[in-house]
Amino acid sequence: MATLEIEGRVFNVDGDGFLSTPELWNEDVAKLFAKYDGIADMNDKHWSVIKIIRRNWEEKGMAPMIRTICQETGVKLREIYELFPLGPARGACRIAGLPKPDGCV
Amino acid sequence: MKELNKEQITKGLEVFQNLADSKLVTHLNSCVHCGLCAESCIYYLATKDNRLTPARKVDLVASIYRRYFTFTGKFWPGFVNARQLNKETADEMVDLLFGACTMCGRCTMHCSIGVDIAFLVRVGRTMLSNMGMVPVTLQSTVNAAVETGNNMSIPEEEFIATLKWMEEELIDEVNDPNAKIPMNETGKKILYTLNPREPKFFPLSISAMAKIFFAAGESWTLSTKMYDVTNYAYFSGNLDEARLIAHRLWNEMGNLKAQTLVLAECGHGSRAFRWEAPNYLQEQFPFEVKTSVECIADYIREGKIRLDPEKIKDVVTLHDPCNLVRSGGIIHEQRYILDQFIANFVEMTPNGTDNYCCGGGGGQLAMSEYNDRRMKIAEIKAVQIQKTGAKIVVTPCHNCVDQLSQINVFFKLGLKIKTLAEIVADALILENEPG
Repeated sequence: MATLEIEGRVFNVDGDGFLSTPELWNEDVAKLFAKYDGIADMNDKHWSVIKIIRRNWEEKGMAPMIRTICQETGVKLREIYELFPLGPARGACRIAGLPKPDGCV
Repeated sequence: MKELNKEQITKGLEVFQNLADSKLVTHLNSCVHCGLCAESCIYYLATKDNRLTPARKVDLVASIYRRYFTFTGKFWPGFVNARQLNKETADEMVDLLFGACTMCGRCTMHCSIGVDIAFLVRVGRTMLSNMGMVPVTLQSTVNAAVETGNNMSIPEEEFIATLKWMEEELIDEVNDPNAKIPMNETGKKILYTLNPREPKFFPLSISAMAKIFFAAGESWTLSTKMYDVTNYAYFSGNLDEARLIAHRLWNEMGNLKAQTLVLAECGHGSRAFRWEAPNYLQEQFPFEVKTSVECIADYIREGKIRLDPEKIKDVVTLHDPCNLVRSGGIIHEQRYILDQFIANFVEMTPNGTDNYCCGGGGGQLAMSEYNDRRMKIAEIKAVQIQKTGAKIVVTPCHNCVDQLSQINVFFKLGLKIKTLAEIVADALILENEPG
């Protein structure tokens, strides 16, 4: 198992940097992971996306479809990719503390 | 760690038995150890680690063959470097054949005597698959496809809702209420496919292709039951699972009575279905199969779509997906398309069939275990792109798009990464263009 150190805190992560124990996630963890990806300050839009992803995962055990993210947050599709340069999977889902989704992401 | 059990060893060695032809044995016995393959391999070039050269990977598989199937190997294994199939050997195979190869086939092209090295790597992967030793992350992607019909386990109702959403976007964009993303319609000319990452996270490529079909006046449909173009089982080496996945797509063509199957921009999916499935299914296609790259090129050639050469001013370069270009021979079509409307096009060096892999192929993107190595080899591609001075990288493969997007952030390149359909859709000239 790999570890990731951000500002003195050490997290157990998979090889792609996704949190090994998603239950250890909280908003402070999200801020640190975001910072690691170059997102210095999470704005309201970042948070609304992260919270939808987190809620969907807690309720359904998987990352939501991008449609759900856009429709529930009101954030435009193209804007999601600007908010999270690594995209919804490697970017937003990782910051939301989810395990890495399967497939070509 | 547990030693291999007898059943695992028996199953692993099955790949060398009851062979239909002499290809495997010929290639296993042919390497002359010239070493030319080393310089062709991105893993060796990026690390200069001798252990990662293609010849070492070949010899690992060949040494097991020698140990169990040749006279000298059975009785004097030490003389011919014949290795027993045990835990240590199998672990090394996992590390080299899954963890240090994108199956890009560049070594095969450069081999001085024509050994099909990528084929031998896949045989090694099949051995590991028979032994139940496929990396869990790769296997879970295969399992998702086998169990749910798509490799991201997208429920059908979610998929349908996404297509409807994209249809609304399309109607807005083309300014025509009759624009459509047809679902499960029978008797259409084209059945189109998708990579599940499109509906799940990156649907702009769906509306882009729908826009192209709309502009061309095409008769087409998507299936909501079986639309997944990927076949990761081809990479895990489990041909039974690969057959099952390929058969589903094959059957859906029959169910919907379409004439042509158009494969989405997916290198390995195109290879695993169009070029390899007739071999591993032992059957010829009763319908036409083509890639969306060829489909778009045909529309331009036939005058069905027109592209605006004033639309894109940035410098554009092209990444050649290994499975599509080196394996499939789709080399000129994408260049023909870009040549219609891209004013500032710069090729990478090398390109075409000699291009470097993005580093994410062969299932690498799915295997978190080898992420560090994957980003290490990615530097070659990052430098190659940087030298072109391009602001936009186009590639007709969703897997390459994802690896290139990571490269873009990791090496701070400031690029836009687009599929071919996306950049074509951006420049389409429509009759009903909104003002």
